[in-house]
Amino acid sequence: MSWFSFHFTDFALSFLSIIFEGIPFLLLGSLASGAVEAFVPRESITRWLPKNFAAAIMVSALLGLVLPMCECASVVIIRRLIRKGLPLPCAITYMMAAPIVSPVVALSTYVAFRGQSPLEMTLLRMVLGFLIAVGIGLAVRDFPAEKLLQPAMLDSLPGRRRTGLSMAVAGDDAVLNLTGGGVRGKLFRTVQSATSDFLDVTFFFVIGAAIASTFNTAVNQSLLVPVATNPALSVMAMMLLAFMLAICSSTNAFIAVSFRMFPPSAKLAFLLFGPLFDTKLFFLYGAVFRRWFVLTLGIGLFIVIALICNHLGLILNT
Amino acid sequence: MTLLAWSAVLLFFCLSGRIASFLIPAFRVNVLLAGLVFLVMACCFLFLPGVAQCCDDELCGHPLGRWKFGRIVTFLILLLPMVTAAMFSPKNFGAAAILNRGIATDAAGLVQRSAPARIRPPQPLPSAQPVVDNPAEPALPTKNGSQPATAAATPAPAQTAADDYLPKSKDGNIVVQVIDLLYAAQDSSMRADFEGKTVETIGQLMPDDTHNGNGNRFKLMRMFMYCCAADAKPIAAVVESPQQPTAPEMAWVKVVGKVDFPIEGGRTIAVLKATSVKQTDPPAETMLY
Repeated sequence: MSWFSFHFTDFALSFLSIIFEGIPFLLLGSLASGAVEAFVPRESITRWLPKNFAAAIMVSALLGLVLPMCECASVVIIRRLIRKGLPLPCAITYMMAAPIVSPVVALSTYVAFRGQSPLEMTLLRMVLGFLIAVGIGLAVRDFPAEKLLQPAMLDSLPGRRRTGLSMAVAGDDAVLNLTGGGVRGKLFRTVQSATSDFLDVTFFFVIGAAIASTFNTAVNQSLLVPVATNPALSVMAMMLLAFMLAICSSTNAFIAVSFRMFPPSAKLAFLLFGPLFDTKLFFLYGAVFRRWFVLTLGIGLFIVIALICNHLGLILNT
Repeated sequence: MTLLAWSAVLLFFCLSGRIASFLIPAFRVNVLLAGLVFLVMACCFLFLPGVAQCCDDELCGHPLGRWKFGRIVTFLILLLPMVTAAMFSPKNFGAAAILNRGIATDAAGLVQRSAPARIRPPQPLPSAQPVVDNPAEPALPTKNGSQPATAAATPAPAQTAADDYLPKSKDGNIVVQVIDLLYAAQDSSMRADFEGKTVETIGQLMPDDTHNGNGNRFKLMRMFMYCCAADAKPIAAVVESPQQPTAPEMAWVKVVGKVDFPIEGGRTIAVLKATSVKQTDPPAETMLY
């Protein structure tokens, strides 16, 4: 039997089912993101932060519970938060945690893993996502902004000369004044922001669903048995897959669960690594941070998550 | 335009009932709601064209929306695969995708779920002795020192008890799904309900290459869906028939026969000893869940 046999009708059935399953969650995340963008003043976020650095990092890692953002939206949002004076380590912590430590992601993970220890998988994803984000926030504490941020981003910070437009960040006064500043105007701003985020992220979701569907229907999965049954290889294979598929954190649980041959630890690695570092985030991070930081972040996350999931696999996969 | 197209596709699949081939019932309402929200959002843009701008140039965080080529690519990626797939998607997978996924003939590799409610007894049947799932394995003695009964030695439950909760056809046969037989093979109480009784079930005909030493067997296959068709697993009961069916591979067939649970290759499998195999129409919902 050939290792690859592609039939468009099979692909279409699998592709549409992933789209139908994931799109409502993507839409929910985009609407929540749009509502936060329109209704929550950014200054109020910084007011809530504790003065103690470690406590501030932990609070930042939990901000996703009240400001749920997918990974793409969180990159967009932190540019504004940094401009509003949020400390850089707190902004990075929020950017890393929000795509995982969020009620939307928790709900979608729980629903996707229905019948496959959903509570354990959801809790592990939330707790480990929180700890990884806090670890990164603490690790970047001593790095000056000049070493981490792109020059254009640096220039847009308060008190600095602003040049260029590529990474310019605007304040609240730059919010589009389409229909006035009242509730009606904010509602339209919500729709506008949600639609922009939705279309932007769905672009990558469609590509990810297409790759996943090709894999699910055309590849002879018995060939994966050696990889899927080797704990260390399966974890790394699923992380590489998460990097390539670039699926939104609010829906990637549905993709992960479809890889039935892989053990729970490998699926957990997929759920943790994908929202923190994938192909689309590589480009998005590069728009904010310097290249060396993006590469170090990716390699570091890969090693840390692989070690954690391999260790957890001894418990999870039994 | 994109939002309208997405709304149209989602609502069409929901209202036409075609969504049943893609998702389990719990997720179908989400698609309907998403279709309606897309419609409302599209109306906002239709009646308030100013809202349709992505962002202003300075604020824009959407790299693909900044340049015209990016917007065209985005439009094509978002619409083309979705609409094309919607036009050509079938109700069920073809043989190649099924073989690529591998067919399970026991429930061991499936997600553990309780027995479907429709074949579950309303209350536990009293059992005087513990029952051993696999007679080949020794069982622990009971507290009073007597040996537990094996599944084979356990007397079948009274016909009336099973009759109370097992659905029947007009011909008096017990109506089961393929998944019921697989679960029953793993569960002694369910096995006792079916063993030796005449049942009828439907599925797709597939050749059997693994349990077919005498050449008189084929597989009765169904797709078992956890959440959506992408994660559906092909499952099959083995059918033993003196005459090989004339229906082509992947055809839907209705099989009537007696259920047996032999141990083959060290595990209990469900074998349906067919008295009748007839080609039939596909069911309204081709996937099991």
